[in-house]
Amino acid sequence: MTTVLTPSPAGTAIDQSAIAELCNVTKTYAVAGGRELKVLDQIDLAIHEGELLALLGQSGSGKSTLLRCLTGLTTPTAGRVLAYGKVLEGINPYASIVFQTFALYPWLTVEQNVAVGLMSKLFTRAEKEAAVEKAIDLIGLNNYHDAYPREISGGMRQRVGIARALVAEPKILCLDEAFSALDVLTAENLRNEVVTLWKEQATTLKSIFMVTHNIEEAVEMATRICVLFPHPGRLGLVMGNNLAYPRNPNDSEFQRLVNVIHETITMQALPDHPPEPASVSGRPVSKARTRMESIPTVPVGRILGLLSILHDHPELDNIYDIANEIGKDYGETISLVKAAEILEFVDTPKDEVRFTELGKKFINADSDTRKQIFAEQVQKLRLFHIILGYLEVQEEIESETVLRDISTALPYENAENVLQTMIAWGRYAGLMDYDANTQLLSRPEEEVEKEEGKKEEIAS
Amino acid sequence: MKSTATQLGAAQIKRTFSWVDVIVLLGVFGLLWTILHFGRGMVIQFDENQSPAISTDIRSIPYYAGRTVLRMWLAFVFSLLFTFSVGYAAAKSRAARAVILPALDILQSVPVLGFLSITVTGFMALFPGSLLGVECASIFAIFTGQVWNMAFGFYHSLVTIPKDLQEAATNFRLSLWQRFGTLEVPSSMHSLIWNSMMSFGGGWFFVAQSEAITVLNKNIKLPGLGSFMATAVENGDNTAAVWAIVAMLVVIIASDQLIWRPLLAWADKFKIELVESGDAPKSWLYTFLRRVYIFEWIDEKISGPLSDASIRLKKALARLEIIPAHSRGAAGRWVSRLLFGMLALWVVYQMIVGVMAAAHAVYDHVSWHQFLRLCFLGLLTMGRVATMTILATLVWTPIGVWIASKPNVARFAQPFAQIAASFPVNMTFPFVVGFLVAAHISINWGSIVLIAMGTQWYILFNVIAGAMAIPNDLKEAATTYGLHGWSLWRTLILPAIFPFWVTGACTAAGGAWNASIVAELATWGHTTLKAEGLGAYIAEVTQKGDTPMIICSIAVMCIFVVITNKLLWRRLYEHAEKRFHLD
Repeated sequence: MTTVLTPSPAGTAIDQSAIAELCNVTKTYAVAGGRELKVLDQIDLAIHEGELLALLGQSGSGKSTLLRCLTGLTTPTAGRVLAYGKVLEGINPYASIVFQTFALYPWLTVEQNVAVGLMSKLFTRAEKEAAVEKAIDLIGLNNYHDAYPREISGGMRQRVGIARALVAEPKILCLDEAFSALDVLTAENLRNEVVTLWKEQATTLKSIFMVTHNIEEAVEMATRICVLFPHPGRLGLVMGNNLAYPRNPNDSEFQRLVNVIHETITMQALPDHPPEPASVSGRPVSKARTRMESIPTVPVGRILGLLSILHDHPELDNIYDIANEIGKDYGETISLVKAAEILEFVDTPKDEVRFTELGKKFINADSDTRKQIFAEQVQKLRLFHIILGYLEVQEEIESETVLRDISTALPYENAENVLQTMIAWGRYAGLMDYDANTQLLSRPEEEVEKEEGKKEEIAS
Repeated sequence: MKSTATQLGAAQIKRTFSWVDVIVLLGVFGLLWTILHFGRGMVIQFDENQSPAISTDIRSIPYYAGRTVLRMWLAFVFSLLFTFSVGYAAAKSRAARAVILPALDILQSVPVLGFLSITVTGFMALFPGSLLGVECASIFAIFTGQVWNMAFGFYHSLVTIPKDLQEAATNFRLSLWQRFGTLEVPSSMHSLIWNSMMSFGGGWFFVAQSEAITVLNKNIKLPGLGSFMATAVENGDNTAAVWAIVAMLVVIIASDQLIWRPLLAWADKFKIELVESGDAPKSWLYTFLRRVYIFEWIDEKISGPLSDASIRLKKALARLEIIPAHSRGAAGRWVSRLLFGMLALWVVYQMIVGVMAAAHAVYDHVSWHQFLRLCFLGLLTMGRVATMTILATLVWTPIGVWIASKPNVARFAQPFAQIAASFPVNMTFPFVVGFLVAAHISINWGSIVLIAMGTQWYILFNVIAGAMAIPNDLKEAATTYGLHGWSLWRTLILPAIFPFWVTGACTAAGGAWNASIVAELATWGHTTLKAEGLGAYIAEVTQKGDTPMIICSIAVMCIFVVITNKLLWRRLYEHAEKRFHLD
């Protein structure tokens, strides 16, 4: 039993056993307002024959984009994609995708949907029928031939998705969050069947490439696990996994691997560096954009919810347990904890989560005091100085201007999502208001009224 | 709704021929014979000075009705072809989109009836000495009345196909043709059929109008229900006129029941969402036709073996390497691009030449004074259109909401409103004009009634649809908080139906501009009433054949329509989309 921890290999030579390979792949998208967002940054990754490779990452880390580059659905901005050592042109003929949303055609029956996988092949009716029948049989869809997708359950729909992918006789099966729309039991069952399918080599299938945000799922299924760090997407950890199948999640080695991944993600998202010197509370000091830190795009209500759960359950002290308690996956929980951390409500040595004094004061306060504390903490964040700085000198500011500033300060983030979150936090803190019709950010009304009152006083 | 169990059960039963198949076969052959029979009448000799006489014998109504229906379907087939090609091009090519979308936007605001005189002369020159020229002009008028809406709808469904469904088609490397048939047409099928039904309904107005026209001081009558009606009115034969109206109603209801309802019921399975819809549209004919076996038989015994043979042939050819594996290479793409570019250039050149010639003619013949007078007349007509929209809204909104609150009434009222909107009310104008004359009402006001007769229904059935779409929980919440009377209307009903009202009112206003051409200059027997307005002016110059003035007056009307669309309807749409979208 060996677990190999290697840094991401840079510039490896072309690998003959690789079914598909990304060489130095970078992908940039144009976003609204003529800005560009780098989603993948210099990725080197090969999928070899016989392996089951899992790519782990939070939502927005670019893992779906990576899968789309590999299958030829999108072309990378820079770098090459190889299929069996040859530069890929158009769609990868060796890869079939299983979609998170199933992507079945509602107007076709199960049988006809599976046959879509065969359309590019020159098959006569008899050949087609035999191939479809074989796939349907293999994936356990007998007696569902003439049912329409809307008549069958989610688990059965995904089986149709898998049968459709297999009937195209791929070398590599690409699972794009294929189990995340299913309930826990159905997903577990289907995961086992997919692993069996790959292990038994009953089809042309050599390898599986799966994209997921579920750490246990990756450890349970994969022979090799890669972690994709977000903003911009880059490979963080590449790790082999030689546990024997079927794998038991309670096994200590299984747990150890899960922990290694937890730590890697936590270290990246919540580094233990000393806090930056706090700026003078309440007043934006400068618009300096150096070392501007982003904020996790989570709603205020969730942060409050997290804090009150921590308050009610003092025994919850690490992120993993919290994730279990609140029923969110690890990545989402980390975002929440990070939000609480940058607001200085919690402290996170390693993967522990502890209330700070301020956090305790906040959670025990009444709603007005809470708002006040929240406002003070938000004003300490450099990112918010962009908006507050404008509102200091003028009453309103166009969101387009703010967006431009945010994307300059945080080139790898989706500026629009960040702004949405800032507006939500700023509104709760009573620091700003936003009119979706005029797309103007403004000072909140009471404040404006107060000032107008002052002006009137002065005038009289 | 069907459970999986019954579905599976049905699949086990061996299907065979039954008497239903006999009926369907007879129906198909009957249809073929009918098309040939009525089609023969389209290509007869025609002398423009001697229009074929239209009989007012009631026994000839079935023949005339057949001719009218055939015209409608021919126009519809052309509309469908146009929709597929142009909608597809707009969705797939950015260059094409940049031209097509603005063009469609303008074209759908053009009052089609005004162009009738120009197109009639054009098509008559194309087929000299044959009735086919006039037939084409009539078909063209129907085509232009219905096609833009359909093309827009198809384009819109193409660009809103969910991304995962598209990616699946790409991943499994469907050819362009397979993609079109498996993904693109099915996913737009529902909106395509719905839009077709609405456009087809609007087409009756144009067919009735274009069958009997006066162009260049010549009366041209095509055999059909519209011309039968016109002749009956000219001769003062009221019995025949009433029979024509009844025949028209029968034809419209038959199209609805025999074609559109079954199609809608069938298209229910093409809805994108994966949940079963609560109340699927029903059609007795569709239920009946589901028992047909003949098409399955054809698929099994004829088209199946044919496709197998073609695949074997392709395989053999591939083995002989006659067709290279990648025949559609870069060269092919360049050739097609070059051809497309040349075609586009030619079209643009033709358009520029046409516009230049028209501008020249207008510049030479129309003085500024005349132009200002046209604008003034346009304002008058706009006043009528606005009055009609406001009055119809005030009258039909409360009624529509009331109807929607009574499911039993709504079930009948909505299709009724649709049929009322389809009915070519211009056929009944002579009677209303007679009433106006008898009651001494000025046509300046009376024309508002004439306009409203055809267009108010769009407002009614959209309001009904909107009020029926109000979610139950919102209604219950309103009841819980004791909202009633005006406060209920203001907080719930008006915001909820607003987006639907915008759609209805915009369609009604668009139709009203077209209707003004017919309504402002109306004839009853030997009395002709003329209102002050742009519609009457266009009708008059069309009869006289004064080409520069025709072009100029239509251009003014287009400008009015486009400006109100941009300044009013577009903004209301956006507002409705942003503020009152229920989701």
